Amino acid sequence: MTRRMLVAVLALGGVFLAAYLTLYHYGYVGSLACGTGGCEKVQGSRWANFLGVPVALWGTGYYMSVFAVATAGSLGPWVERRWPSGALVFLNGWGVLFSAYLTWAEVARIHAICRYCVVSAGLVVVLFSLSLLDLRDYRRAPK
Amino acid sequence: MAKPVKKKPSNSRFVGTIVLVAVVGVAVLGYAVSRPRAGVKPVDPSLAAGTAEGYLVGNADAPVQVIEFGDFECPACGQWATLTEPDVRERLINTGLVSFRFYDFPLDMHKNTWPASNAVACAADQGKFLDMHDRVFATQDRWNGEATNNPKKVFLQLAAESGIDTAKWEDCFDTQQHYPRIKANLQEGVRRGIGQTPTFIIGTKMIPGNIPFDEFRKYVDAAAAEAAQAAKATPSKP
Repeated sequence: MTRRMLVAVLALGGVFLAAYLTLYHYGYVGSLACGTGGCEKVQGSRWANFLGVPVALWGTGYYMSVFAVATAGSLGPWVERRWPSGALVFLNGWGVLFSAYLTWAEVARIHAICRYCVVSAGLVVVLFSLSLLDLRDYRRAPK
Repeated sequence: MAKPVKKKPSNSRFVGTIVLVAVVGVAVLGYAVSRPRAGVKPVDPSLAAGTAEGYLVGNADAPVQVIEFGDFECPACGQWATLTEPDVRERLINTGLVSFRFYDFPLDMHKNTWPASNAVACAADQGKFLDMHDRVFATQDRWNGEATNNPKKVFLQLAAESGIDTAKWEDCFDTQQHYPRIKANLQEGVRRGIGQTPTFIIGTKMIPGNIPFDEFRKYVDAAAAEAAQAAKATPSKP
């Protein structure tokens, strides 16, 4: 499997993780709980929305974009093209920055850590690293 | 020389992995959505709900109205009650800025929370709500579901330490006469969309979680400013 393919597979996992958090945000999953759980606190905080849209929904859109670009770049005519690598680095670069901002908010503002958010942040870092390696390989490859 | 990137990768293996992840993901999400949700504790359906009534602390006419929905067995509520609430009482309630009401919101994950609410309600009958509330929260580790199947023993001891008439208290506790009120308080929380404990309603804002004093104060100040603005906007009677 190429690195792009791996990015596509991991991003698809991310789609489901973010979709779960979106459903949680809207109350379709999860349960009433004693607020010791970081996720309840994080999801209930004002940081759970960005520009009026739940952060989890932003995350779903982000993972879907990464999945679409990586899949398109892994199959058919775009396999040999370099632009999907550049697009993945761009998307995942934003993903890393946004995750860093959210992690800062959890630690410094909300004072709670949601384990799903930690998993997502780790996933984003892995996606970004794979995208960088993929771009490097395409740069080195003979034209 | 760098290796060429492309040696034809296997598309079928890639597509197969994608399909596998998609199937697992849809199955997990489907299970999460369809499984019965842990909710509020199911109580005897024949038990009529009383009137929802929080326990008032402070001046009922204070400019800022605060409501807490709490569960006596919830560690987060216990932390808030023992670490933050003393400051809230001293600096916000006792100064006349805040009127505070506590509503029971017993969660089904906690085995002894209903008896705890009942124990405090029976103490409140004798004017000892705050005393018992504080003692019950401070001793969670002695009576919670992990510690004992018979929390009454501990509650009785706490009641005696509070200077309560224990015979009266026991009679009240054993007959569970406050269960309708506890159920009504719980239903009031459900009606308001409470999703976790503790949750505070400060003025017009609902704030879930064990929030520190500074954050609590910030919401109180905002609510006080709103109340002042509303008072200004209302024309005074001649």
